[in-house]
Amino acid sequence: MKPAPFDYVAPATRQEALEALAVAPDGTRVLAGGQSLVLEMNQRAARPRRLVDINNIADFDRLEVDRAEEDGGWLRVGALVRHRAFEQPVESGPLGRLLARTAHFIAHPPVRCRGTLLGSLAYAHPTGEWPTLAVTLGAELVLASVDGTRTLDAESFLIGPFTTALRPGELLEEARFPLLRPTTGTAFVELRRTAASFAHLSAATALSVEDGIVVDVRLGMAGIAPQPVRARDAEHRLVGRPPTDSLIAEAATAAAAGVTDPPPDPHSGSAYRRHAATVLAERALLKARQDISEDMERP
Amino acid sequence: MAEPGTPDGSVTRVEDGPLVSGRGCFVADLRVPGCTEAAFVRSDTAHGRLRAVDLAASRQVPGVLGAWWAGDLEEIPLVPVLMEPDVDGGRPWPALAVDRVRYSGEAVAVVVAEDRYLAEDGRDAARVTLDPLPAVLDPQVAARDEVLLYPGRSNVARETNLGDPIDPGVWERAAVVVEATYRYPLLCHTSMEARAILVRPDTGKGITVWCSHQAPHRLRGDLADALGLAADKVRVVVPDVGGAFGGKSETWPEYLAVALAALRLDRPVRWVEDRKEALTAGPRGRGQSQWVRLASDAGGHLLALEMRTDAAVGGYPHTGSFLPEVTGRMAAGTYAIPQVCVRARAVVTTTPPLCPYRGAGRPEAAYAVECTVDLMARRLGMDPAQLRRLNFVRPKAFPFDTPTGFRYDSGDYAAALDLALRTAGYADWRSEQADRRAHGGTPLGLGICTYVERSGAGGEYGAVEAHMDGSFTATSGCCSTGQGHATTFAQVVANELGVDRRRVRLIEADTAVVPDGVGSFASRSMQSGGEALLRAARDLVGEARVRAAARTGVRVDTASFEGGAVRANGSTFTLAELAADGPLRAEARAEPPLAFPFGAYVAVVEVDPELGTVHVVRLVAVDDYGTVVNPLVVRGQTYGSIAQGLGQALYEADVHDEEGVPRAVSLLDYLLPTLSEMPEVAMDETCTPNPNTLLGAKGAGEAGCIGTPPAVVNAVADALRIDPTALAMPLTPRVCWEAGR
Repeated sequence: MKPAPFDYVAPATRQEALEALAVAPDGTRVLAGGQSLVLEMNQRAARPRRLVDINNIADFDRLEVDRAEEDGGWLRVGALVRHRAFEQPVESGPLGRLLARTAHFIAHPPVRCRGTLLGSLAYAHPTGEWPTLAVTLGAELVLASVDGTRTLDAESFLIGPFTTALRPGELLEEARFPLLRPTTGTAFVELRRTAASFAHLSAATALSVEDGIVVDVRLGMAGIAPQPVRARDAEHRLVGRPPTDSLIAEAATAAAAGVTDPPPDPHSGSAYRRHAATVLAERALLKARQDISEDMERP
Repeated sequence: MAEPGTPDGSVTRVEDGPLVSGRGCFVADLRVPGCTEAAFVRSDTAHGRLRAVDLAASRQVPGVLGAWWAGDLEEIPLVPVLMEPDVDGGRPWPALAVDRVRYSGEAVAVVVAEDRYLAEDGRDAARVTLDPLPAVLDPQVAARDEVLLYPGRSNVARETNLGDPIDPGVWERAAVVVEATYRYPLLCHTSMEARAILVRPDTGKGITVWCSHQAPHRLRGDLADALGLAADKVRVVVPDVGGAFGGKSETWPEYLAVALAALRLDRPVRWVEDRKEALTAGPRGRGQSQWVRLASDAGGHLLALEMRTDAAVGGYPHTGSFLPEVTGRMAAGTYAIPQVCVRARAVVTTTPPLCPYRGAGRPEAAYAVECTVDLMARRLGMDPAQLRRLNFVRPKAFPFDTPTGFRYDSGDYAAALDLALRTAGYADWRSEQADRRAHGGTPLGLGICTYVERSGAGGEYGAVEAHMDGSFTATSGCCSTGQGHATTFAQVVANELGVDRRRVRLIEADTAVVPDGVGSFASRSMQSGGEALLRAARDLVGEARVRAAARTGVRVDTASFEGGAVRANGSTFTLAELAADGPLRAEARAEPPLAFPFGAYVAVVEVDPELGTVHVVRLVAVDDYGTVVNPLVVRGQTYGSIAQGLGQALYEADVHDEEGVPRAVSLLDYLLPTLSEMPEVAMDETCTPNPNTLLGAKGAGEAGCIGTPPAVVNAVADALRIDPTALAMPLTPRVCWEAGR
């Protein structure tokens, strides 16, 4: 388990990094936390000819809340922000709580200290926690190259298992998560075999209820399709109605109906997966509803 | 000499400081001048005719020093058989495949380079040409001989029949007969350090071998035989070892290939198995398909047990063929069942070679017996604890000859079960369970396993010497792979001599220094090796008394020994003083018969009925290892083997696709329990000393692997109110959900 030969550069600035990526775009990979890439290289499943190590670029550990914008504001996450940073809420609203709830599902502490949120998005594991959350919340991703930047929403970015819309020479520079309105309850639930395992299935949700009526809901699922998906049919059933137990059960069933071509696993089958997806979607929604109730009780 | 605060011998291990602070020295840490590194070209096909391995490009890689496949060698060393001398007839196992591969991952060529990176570059440049043949993974399918691994030879490498055939009338007369089938999956040893060897050619046509190994003297003999060297030309040294669990007792083909390469290059060559190799090409354990039939009268008295078990011993039967017989011999379990009959077969399959894995045949027996006893309890409507108690071999019946040919030395099975039930709070959990069943709540289950196992195999060498500076040397033929011998063997000697254990230094694991030895496997180290040291220490005292008597001119029987000194004719001589008269040293060889440790495990579990996930709420282990020298060390081993037992029950399985290619290439796929998965564990012991030794110790360290899986599976079945036979390990959420529907 030793990597094949590769060149290595460690630029000090964003511009140098983009230029380094442009030299030989096809065989070049970005090294951030290295928690997936280095393992793949050691197994020679990945054989980049060149690594651009971005760990020396100071700007990339930026983590900012931008509340100024009219659309409610964003949390901006730079390319070197480690999973660990999210274990405690990074902002006081529901988004900070949801990120913190989710971070604890990622591997174990040593991996969380090193691995990065953006690296996890770029790795695009079919049940990765951050990809699931990014799809659920409609995160926007900023891709940079020497030719400029472009912005994609998470669903357009994550196009398959371990496959993204990143083009050769591009760097995933920033992720923007929309801040959630204060009346939002959130939940992240996961089925995994051991504490350090990748998820088998997971469900993430952000549920906003005002005056007893669902005014907005996001429900994302992982493990039922080749990449994390929004359960839009389930969301549509919930919006504009009171989140009763029976409505939540109905929405959960709708969410799991979308099981298509799930990632292969020798220890599971599609019947179990569909059933378990229903259970997880229901538990996520019930927890989110409970989360709102708890929030209301706070002074 | 009891130390303050540790009257029971629970001293912390002297080994731990270096090991936990990165100051250990494993094979990979050795700095041997001029050392090169090996990588193996391996078959990615489970079964096929090997046409050629083209190594021309490999040899062109800068830094590659040599590359060989069978076609380059006039003579290829053959892998020796571990236990059963007859299984390899017509089934040679060459160090590198010659014309056929029989498991995915089998080594077909070795590439040696200046470092491991370059060696892997050379490995990747090799081109293997082979014609695929059908894979056969299931031992029961393989036993039909439709796909032959060795043309002209049956796939059944060995068949053992134990016990007299059961009178057919028993099944007709019995009030209840249950039948069950089980599949114990193939497992990987997953020691933290995988296999590792370094071979250095020495001047004088000898070799020095550093190997992560359990039996250095056997390895020396095997290497000498295979390479055509005299035994005294081979020195084997075992440095720190990061776990073995049975997978490092053998002389693996890779070791022979590395030695061959070292001799050809006349340079040191090291091979450190990486995790991917260990999971895809390394040895396997367990892997049995079993059928059990059990009869009982209406009152719960067991009448007869019949077992058929087939083990998937892998592409070569050399290292695992004796294991199904071990299972068969343990088929009576803790019970006095009048009739027991077993057919045990070792069947070659296109999977990596089977070998002992912690428990080695006994977990497979305990699983089949204990789950079937629970099934019988369900049919009889009896509490599973009561059914067990009714059928235990009674304490007065020992030594007890089983129908399968073992002699159980001693035991009190009911005492262990009663202690386990008390510790678990069995009655309280039963009422909690009844309450939940009546009023709702997460399904709760209780599972029991009462086990007896077999420890020790053969004799062992030990020597003790007193030095003039007041220190002592203990020399043992055992070989610690993490068991803590430097601590516990020193305690044995120090306790016997009445001296400070910190003055006793242990020497083992070097064939140049230890004249003879068997090694550490089958839980034999304290039972046999500790006994040898105890006897040597006792002989040393005898010699000291002779010397003291001679010095003072009295009869030997008037010289008394106490507290590390001999008193004779009013004078007192320390052992250090008596060592001035010439080397004060004694050797001994202990040859204790097999011992039969036993115990009772109780698992309390909750099962999420919607997802099928299992939560082990509490696990109780009561073991009887006979006399325990250091309870802290023994409990550490019990805890570790419980973790591996939980792994078997809940997480681990070596899964292959239909073509026989392993699906798990990393620990992300082959799941192990970690501290996060460990439940609350309560450990306790009963003590029935080994009646056949002075020390009284029986084997410890494998029990958790044996007792835990049946207890957990029985508990999950109890929670779901289903037969344990409806479940199959590992108990994935899907398995439990489907079984509970």
